[in-house]
Amino acid sequence: MPESILSVEHLKKHFPTKQGLVRAIDDITFSVAPGDTLGLVGESGSGKTTTAQCVVGMYPPTSGEIRFKEEQIGTAFKRRPKYVKGDLRIVFQDPGSSLNPKRTIKQILSIPLKVHHIGTQHDRLARMKELLNMVELPADEYLYKYPQAIGGGEKQMVALARALATNPSFVLLDEPTSALDVSVQGKIINLLIRLQRELNLTYLFITHDLSLMRNVSSRVAIMYLGKLCEIAPTVEFFERPIHPYTKMLLSSIPVVSDAEEALKPRKAISKGEIPSPVNIPPGCSFHSRCLARNGRCAEDDPAMVEVAEGHFVRCHAALESELSGHGAA
Amino acid sequence: MALLEAKDLHVGYRTFEGYLHVLNGVKIEVDEGERVGLVGETGCGKTTTVKTILRVLPMPPAQVQGGEILYRGEDVLRMSARAVRDLRRREITAIFQDPLQALNPMFTVGTQLRDILKDSMGGRDGGRLTKRDIEKRCIVALQETGMPDPERIMTNYPSQLSGGMRQRVCIAEALSREARLLLADEPTTNLDVTIQDQILRKLDELVDEKGTSVLMITHSMGVVRDLTQRLYVMYAGSMVETARTKELLACPRHPYTQGLMKSVPRLTGEGISEGIPGRIPNYLEPPSGCRFHPRCEHVMPVCKEAIPPFYAVDEDHFAACYLYRS
Repeated sequence: MPESILSVEHLKKHFPTKQGLVRAIDDITFSVAPGDTLGLVGESGSGKTTTAQCVVGMYPPTSGEIRFKEEQIGTAFKRRPKYVKGDLRIVFQDPGSSLNPKRTIKQILSIPLKVHHIGTQHDRLARMKELLNMVELPADEYLYKYPQAIGGGEKQMVALARALATNPSFVLLDEPTSALDVSVQGKIINLLIRLQRELNLTYLFITHDLSLMRNVSSRVAIMYLGKLCEIAPTVEFFERPIHPYTKMLLSSIPVVSDAEEALKPRKAISKGEIPSPVNIPPGCSFHSRCLARNGRCAEDDPAMVEVAEGHFVRCHAALESELSGHGAA
Repeated sequence: MALLEAKDLHVGYRTFEGYLHVLNGVKIEVDEGERVGLVGETGCGKTTTVKTILRVLPMPPAQVQGGEILYRGEDVLRMSARAVRDLRRREITAIFQDPLQALNPMFTVGTQLRDILKDSMGGRDGGRLTKRDIEKRCIVALQETGMPDPERIMTNYPSQLSGGMRQRVCIAEALSREARLLLADEPTTNLDVTIQDQILRKLDELVDEKGTSVLMITHSMGVVRDLTQRLYVMYAGSMVETARTKELLACPRHPYTQGLMKSVPRLTGEGISEGIPGRIPNYLEPPSGCRFHPRCEHVMPVCKEAIPPFYAVDEDHFAACYLYRS
């Protein structure tokens, strides 16, 4: 196995509710190599955010392992070593609610520095200015402002600066731009890519926007109802999608040019809705919406199989056609 | 004559901090049977425009300062309350962004659909329609939107339905009476892509079938591409560009539209541009002249002085920018 900075194995997170057991994450396995960007894509309710929250320690997993730099971190948050908390950081979706409105940006940025005992009081001010410069905000102008006085994109940059305060090597980005307009999104994304190169960061990038994913990540994982359907290197993923759900997603994206239109799979017309996670269909959870289903799909859940290097798919029908395709060739 | 024509519309809001100059000379034309898109970023006045057309803008705080909205030659802004009600009953219909706000949580889907049908037929008792007719038309309307099991849905409350289903109910409500003009204000923004795709396809079919004219408001360039024939791009309360949709998306002329199109992430993966520097202006003291000039890289002295009119840059392609003055 290639060395990986984060590896998640057979992770499960179930929430007991009055309506029944919600299987928010149901046995997922993936790993991220250092310096890589893994894009995690799925519809709302597919468990993307729960995955991020488990990795960052907001929820203890029901079962399964999370390993970060050979350290087991799938335990309670209190027992997680402190340096891991500083090394593995998260940026949330909505900067409007993740930044405290009653604190100035200086106060917001000073908290991680204090908690992790970084520098003396004097050093900290310099570090905060450095952080703001890193995210391309003029430090002297912004340090004493409150979050409500700045725009959405700038708030997200402050949230990013806060995440970077402890010099992490891994940053979880939970839909960092979905609350923003496209013209602002471009700036944040370019900033993220530049910082990744300069600081040698590894990202787990969560989004529902596949076009964005195409431009940001090096690998893509598709999640559906708490399970992964397909993982592949980005270029391969967009050229040769295999899982029927992936094809459905790709064909549903609204695009703006003919060149993109040509990339979309023709036959996969979307239908149905994501079922309630309390009542997951038996067998493959996607079979109720699937266009390629056969008899086996309703009965047994397919396993993840590697079809090409680094390209994993979890689907009976696709594998059968893939195998027969190879036999003919 | 255009079905709907807004001319030089100026709308503002009186607030505690001062007067917000939001709409600054908006012009839109929708022809009979035509589908028009209106795109713009958050806070550029898209929803204010729609609400002004429907006359549902809360006044105060809003104030219409000038301009006219002609619906088949008649000015909506000067109509009597009764005439406006008739207009909303028979002629113009709307789908809003958030179906949870558009549907009343206290009544079943059936009750709400029936009420709308009865009202559009002209009286509380449903005019010339019998109870059974109304029931049948409601079910047909739900079926048309691709809803499974419409009889059961009729007895459900909005909270019992998923987001996609709720939006289908709203579409059924909007299209159940034969209106001539549909205003769709970000109808799929809250939905997942696969659901969005289904809803848009259904909407496309229904509109085609009924020959309704559409004004589709959205912030997503991709959504308007398949659904509309002509497109308006809006920035900070005024129109900056209009052309046939595909042409505008393929070759935008206004600097704002160009910046916007460059920052849309593409499936082909050529990377994303830096976006447009700066942000949308404060409506308390908007920039003089062209409101885009503080963010524009081609800014000229004249841009700061007067609002640019639409200049023809191509056949059927207009941009409100002094670059194309000659």
